Order: sequence, then structure tokens, then C-alpha cells
Amino acid sequence: MKKRLYLELENCIGCRSCLAACTQCGGHEQRNRNYVYDVNPLVNRQTMPLMCLHCVNPACARSCPAQAIQIHENGAVLSALVEKCIGCQNCTIACPYGIPKFDTEQNLMYKCDMCIDRSKDGIPPMCASVCPSNTIQWLSDEEIDAKQKQFNLNNGKWVTSMPYLENETNVKVNLPGILQGVTKLF
Amino acid sequence: MQRDKFFREIENVRHPNETLVKTHCAYCGMQCGMNLRVNTQTNKIVGVEPRYDWPVNVGKMCPKGVTAYQQTNHDDRILKPLIRDDASLKGTTKGFREATWDEAYDLVAAKFNELQTKYGKDSLSVFSGVSMTNEKCYLTGKFARVALGTRYIDYNGRFCMSSAAGGFLRSFGVDRGSTLPWTDLHETDCLFIAGSNTAECHPTSMFRVWHVQERGGYLIVADPRETPIARRADVHLDLRPGTDLALANGIVNLLIQNGYVDEEFVNNHTNGFEETKELVKEFTPEYTSQITGVAPEKIILAAEIYGKAPNAIVAFARGIEQHTKGVDNVSGYTNMALVTGKIGRPKAGVATFTGQGNGQGGREHGQKSDLLPGYRKLTNPKHVEEVCQVWGITPEEMPQPGVSAYEMFELMEQKTIRGLYLLCSNPAVSAPNQNFVRKALKGLDFMVCSDFYLSESAEFADVILPSVTWSEDEGTVTNLEGRIIKINKAQEPLGESKPDWQIQVELAERIGKGKYFSHLKTAVDVADEFRLASKGGNADYYGATWDKIDKQDGVFWPCKDENDEGTPHMFLDKKFYHPDGKAKICALPYRPPAEEPDQEYPLRLTTGRVVFHYLSGNQTRRIQFLRDMCPEPYVEIHPETAAKYDIVHEERVRLFTRRGEAVYKVKITEAIRKDTVFVPYHFGHEQSINLLTIPALDPISRMPEFKACAAQIEKLEAKKVQ
Repeated sequence: MKKRLYLELENCIGCRSCLAACTQCGGHEQRNRNYVYDVNPLVNRQTMPLMCLHCVNPACARSCPAQAIQIHENGAVLSALVEKCIGCQNCTIACPYGIPKFDTEQNLMYKCDMCIDRSKDGIPPMCASVCPSNTIQWLSDEEIDAKQKQFNLNNGKWVTSMPYLENETNVKVNLPGILQGVTKLF
Repeated sequence: MQRDKFFREIENVRHPNETLVKTHCAYCGMQCGMNLRVNTQTNKIVGVEPRYDWPVNVGKMCPKGVTAYQQTNHDDRILKPLIRDDASLKGTTKGFREATWDEAYDLVAAKFNELQTKYGKDSLSVFSGVSMTNEKCYLTGKFARVALGTRYIDYNGRFCMSSAAGGFLRSFGVDRGSTLPWTDLHETDCLFIAGSNTAECHPTSMFRVWHVQERGGYLIVADPRETPIARRADVHLDLRPGTDLALANGIVNLLIQNGYVDEEFVNNHTNGFEETKELVKEFTPEYTSQITGVAPEKIILAAEIYGKAPNAIVAFARGIEQHTKGVDNVSGYTNMALVTGKIGRPKAGVATFTGQGNGQGGREHGQKSDLLPGYRKLTNPKHVEEVCQVWGITPEEMPQPGVSAYEMFELMEQKTIRGLYLLCSNPAVSAPNQNFVRKALKGLDFMVCSDFYLSESAEFADVILPSVTWSEDEGTVTNLEGRIIKINKAQEPLGESKPDWQIQVELAERIGKGKYFSHLKTAVDVADEFRLASKGGNADYYGATWDKIDKQDGVFWPCKDENDEGTPHMFLDKKFYHPDGKAKICALPYRPPAEEPDQEYPLRLTTGRVVFHYLSGNQTRRIQFLRDMCPEPYVEIHPETAAKYDIVHEERVRLFTRRGEAVYKVKITEAIRKDTVFVPYHFGHEQSINLLTIPALDPISRMPEFKACAAQIEKLEAKKVQ
């Protein structure tokens, strides 16, 4: 069964385990490819991860003059191909989320590839494997549908994986507010 | 959890030329399952892969866990014994030269002999720790008492778990850190968590904590800081540091007043209810609020939720335990479960978040100044007799109980203790009142330290013996649930390093005590003797064989024999471990912390951990990723308090108490009380917050009050102007 990355931002505890784990993926050359931000550091400890959302029609790939950014059949938007990337950095500007990173020494873009050597076989990416707070999850479409039903309160305050900026994404995101739809046990 | 099943069926990725060794993390009491990736050509550990099938963490790991493997082949490893001939260089990293094991052993044996001949057996001391296997912890106790014959042995659990131990022994008659397995956590209806920064200190508990709320259950958190877990709590009881007992009494009072008492349970299975009821009467929400600073409505709401919950778990950690009334705080919060009968069944109970990897097992088997293997007591002649039979000594030869960890430094200062064998601990960072402790270490006639890195404490040693990291040896560890698990060896010891049990056997032979130790040739030999020594004690490990641990995903103690599957849930038969089978509801009068704020020192200083570091930081500060994330300590201050002192974010300020001072970078945050400042304790030398902390000890657990003392802040440039 196909699974996707699903982010429940409200759960994030800021441990950066996803960053540490990113370096452990076979094809990642010990470099992490995602981000964790303090949302309002002087006020509270809310944090959130930001990883590639793997857009269905990704701006990074569209902007690439060398067609170096390929999309895997499972939807993962891959790092630039070494043999094609010309180091123009268009992709780093085009991406509305600021995801692609650039290695100036190698003159090469690298980014989250959803741990392609894991996810191609249905094994969760390293970040989703280790995330201790269930902020980054690896779910089937049925499980994501159930989440959407549970959390889509239609109160205008928050949304589930809306077509922001780049329309449909392969990664689904729940903005803070997850507990709003929960009925208390007693 | 439904997803647990999915996770447990995931296949691991196997890289070419690599094999996976299943084991557990090197760090905290969660003891998360993990696979170490070992290169089959170099036979070296090269990375980590999740262990999806381990029931406690189902593959999840915190950043310390993910990077733990980097310790083993780290450039900072000590690969050969080191000797320092010039004692004037003590307290620095200078003057060490490489030596052979023979030379190091000979020197240690000669010095130990010289001191004991001149000043008596008890002039030597052993200071150990519980970030090592049960087998090593067990043998360290035996080494001190049989090989050295000294009464002075104690360990860093005095700075960690001893209050929980004292509280549980008093309330239940037995000290198992959790009355239920962690896999129950997410299924309870109310989690009441006091003094635990769970998201940073035990991160892999968090997916279960959040799941309680996702199911519609409640989360109540008592903490002076709005920690990541408190941020999302249904009720955050933002109390003043050092006032937990008042809060516990206040809640117990409301539970009694509002009809949440389980009378059948209280009458048949507990003692002490009436006295406690009388004592807590005084703790009305208003009075409790005066002491704790928590709004009365919040206290009422918390008691109401806990009282109504069909099942609830009370959990706590060092935040309530590292106090001069740490034991009372533990029994005080445990009272909540006892008066309402929410214990002794699945999904309901009491737990402490064990801090160190083997904080549970390591305190049960004889490293504590007054304990012997199997949680036996040195003061009980029958217990002494039982252990003497295993060790082959006479009861007359068994040393008397010694003193607690901090008190050993006092005896060093007084020259009662003149020699020290330190292992698995870094008290030159972790003990309170560092100025005193470092002076005591410097004044020792002779000190030998066993470590795999040159820790701040090793800087005071005359001899350093290179030990191994956790993945270069095998043995068992008891995690925070009371589950005995197996640590597996993933690579051969680096350089000339050796596991501590082997060092102790070889050293015992040099001291002329070989007949008690020479039969221990492998970790398995130590394990077999250890299980036998625990047999019949409260913490009975006899039936917990390595085979059974492997087959059953760990074994919960007590596990008395081959056919016993162990005890995941404690007290299911409502039988407690006091002689009459009843638990004790404790009437506990409130007392303030040893040092309250005053005009001169108006702030409350509290200390704790960050997610990126473990204990004294000797291991984690050397890991690049963790150091990048948190390179130095800082002081957390509320913006209104900072404004009063005219200090701004990231400014460096002088923080000081009656005992010491240090300079810290300011971190402004609204997520802390206005009367409280916080500094993480993982850092050494002039950055250590323990230069400032108070060595006031709990009368029962001898735990120092790390979590509350009076402090003051001063601007740095203001001092220059004067």
C-alpha cells in the first residue's frame, strides 16, 4: 500500500531528531536536507519542521534550465542529477519553501529525496522513522483521509494540506490546531 | 496503538557490506531499541538504522540516539592507559603519558596498598555510575567490598534516582520505577506529569503522550517552565520550584473532599489514610496557591480531571525529586494514585522517568552505600549472609554501610577518604557546589579514573584506565519500565580499551583478591554470578536469562525462575511489598526548600537538561551534531524580569549564588516563571551551573537540591563601571 509523508505540526517538540536522522540515509552523504524552525522563540517553545513537500508540479523542476531535477514514480522530487546540474541555483529561488540546498564546492543542488532508497520500497524515510513526537508520519491515503475527516473543522482557522502556493503536494500537512476536532473522553 | 503493528512489520534497509546489530541506546532510561550498522570489512560501527520491532519506541529515536553510534570510533577516545607523574598538574588535561596496562595496574595496586596500609581499609573509595550494564554495576559493588574491602562506595544515582527509590520504598515497599509497561501510557485517560520535561529528556515517550490527547484524554503538567509538553497540556500547573509537596497535598485534599476516594481500595490495601486526610485539610486551593503560586482554579481543575479519569497515570522526574524533600514529593504525588485506587491495574499507576540508562538496575545491585545485590540491605544480617555465600566471604569481612555520593567529597576534604576509583561518572560537572567538590578531588592522595574520554573529572586523576563504550561489550540493562533488556556487542574494543568488569577482575588479581574474581572470564560469567546474587531479593533477576530477554522482548523484574515470564504490571493482586501487604498513604507536612529567595538573592535558580545533551555532557558535547545544536549553556529569563535588570536577549550576564558564579548568555522567553531562572547543567569548567547549586541533601535519599536555590543576576558592564 502506498504511503506518504504526513506532517502534524502541532506535535513538534523541536528535538531536531529528523535533522540528525536525515544524515543517516544511504544516499545523503551525511548531510541533512530539512529544517526545523522556532516559531516564536521569545514567547514559547513551539517549533515546526519544514521539509520538501514534494509538489506534484514542482517549481524547482520547472525552473531548472538543465532538467536536472527528476521526479521518481512514487512522487519524490529528487536531488539534482550530478551530470546535468549546472549550478545556476534557479531552483533555490523558485521553491516557495526554500527547500533546495546548494553545495558551492561541488556546484550542485541537493535536497530531500524522501530517502528514495527507503521510500521506493515502502520503508519510511529516516525522518518519519525516528520522529519521536509523531510530527512526521508515514501514512496510507486511507489514514490521511481519516485524519482529514477528523480535523477538517471548516472553521476557517486552519486547514489540512491546502493547495498553498504550489497546489497539490505529495506530502500532506496539518497546521497547528490538531486538537480542535477532538471530543474529550469525559 | 494501531500504528505500532505497522511499524513492527517494517523491514530494515541493509546497505552493501554492512550488517545490523540490534541493541539499545547508550543514553537515558528509555533505552530505545536501535540497530547499529557495522561494516563487515572493517568490523567498525558506521551508523544507525531504526529498530522498528522494539515495542517501547518502535524505531523512534531522539537526536542523541540517532548520533549515539558516533561515540565509539570518536577521535577523543582514550586508547591506552595514561599515567600522570606530576600531581601539581591535577585539575588540568596536562602531564599524562601513555603506559602499558601492566604499569598502570602495578601503580594502582601499589598506591591502593600504600594508602590502606597507612590509613586503613576505608581510606579508599569507589564512585561509580549507572550508565552501564547491570553486570558492571553488580561487579563494582563486589569489587569495592571484596577486593578493596572499603565501606565507601556510592554512585551518581544519588544525583538522579535516589529520591524516587526512597519514595517508592516508603509508599509501596518496593522500588520499581514504573508500576506498568510504557506500552500502557497512550491508553490511559489522564496523564499527570510533574517535574518532567518529557519532550527533551525522554523524547520517545512523546508519541504516546500526544496520543492520549488525540484520543480525548487529558494531559496535566506541573512545571515552573512552559516546556514543550506543558505548552500543549490541558492544565499547566506553573508552580514555584521547590513547592511540589504543597501542590500534591492540595490535590490529594481536593480528591478526598470531592468524593474521589476509592474506599474499598483504601480500607483493604493501604495504611495511613486518616492521618493524611487530616494533614492535607489545611491545603485548600487558596492556601496551596499561596505557597505554589499556581492559580486556585487550575489546582481545582487538575484534581477534578484526575479524580474523574477512569484510568490515570501519575508520572514524575528529577523536577520533583532533586529536592531536600524529594522523597516526600514522590510519596506525595503517589498519594494521588493510592487514595483514588488508580493503581494495580493496566493503564493506571505511578511511574518515574528514569534519567540514566540503567538508573533502575544500577541502583538495585549494590553500588549504593547501603545496598547489596537484589535490593538487599547491608544492615540486614540475613541479607548480608545470603550475599556472602555467593561472594565466598564471611559476614565479618563485609564492610559496613558508607555514606552518600556528595558526603564522600566531604570525607575527602576531611582526609578520611584519601584514594578514589572513579568510573562511569563525571562528578566534576554533575555534583552540586563544584568549587568544594573540585577542591576535594584535587586534594586526594591518589585517584584512578576509568573512562573512554578524558572527562572533566578525569582531569583530576593520577591514572586513567581506558574503558569501552556501550557497544563494545554486552550485558543487561533495566529500562525505566523495570524491563531487563540486552545490550549487544557491535565491535571489538577500540585500541587497548577494556570493559570495566574486566578491569576490575584484573585489578582484583593485582591486589591479591584473585580467588574471588578470577573465575569471571566473560561478560556471561559475570551475568550468571549476578543473577544468582540477586536471587531471593526484592529485585530478583534470577529467571531473567539472556535467552528469555531475547524471546520476550525483555523481562520485567521480579522474575524468580526459569518458568517465570516476569512482571510487566506490578500490584495486580493489590499486594504491596510492605510486611502487611498494604501500601502506605503518607502524611507529609510541607517544608520549603533549603534556601529561599531573599533581598540579596531574589531569584529562584533551577537546572535541567536540553534535548541535545545527556548528563554531564562528557559524551554528547563531543558529537558534532549535538554540539552544533547546543554549544553552550544559557540562562532562561522571563522578559519582565530581564527588563528589571536591563538585560537583553543574548547578552552575557553574571549569575551568582552564595556558593559560586558563572557567566551565561541570556535567553529571553515567556515560557518561564518571572521569579525563576533556568540553566542547563551539561557543561563543565567555568560554564558549570553546579558551581552555583546548593549541596543541601534530602534526609532520606541524600539527594542534593539541584532544582531550587536562591540566585542573583548582574550585568557584566555594570561591574566594569564600578
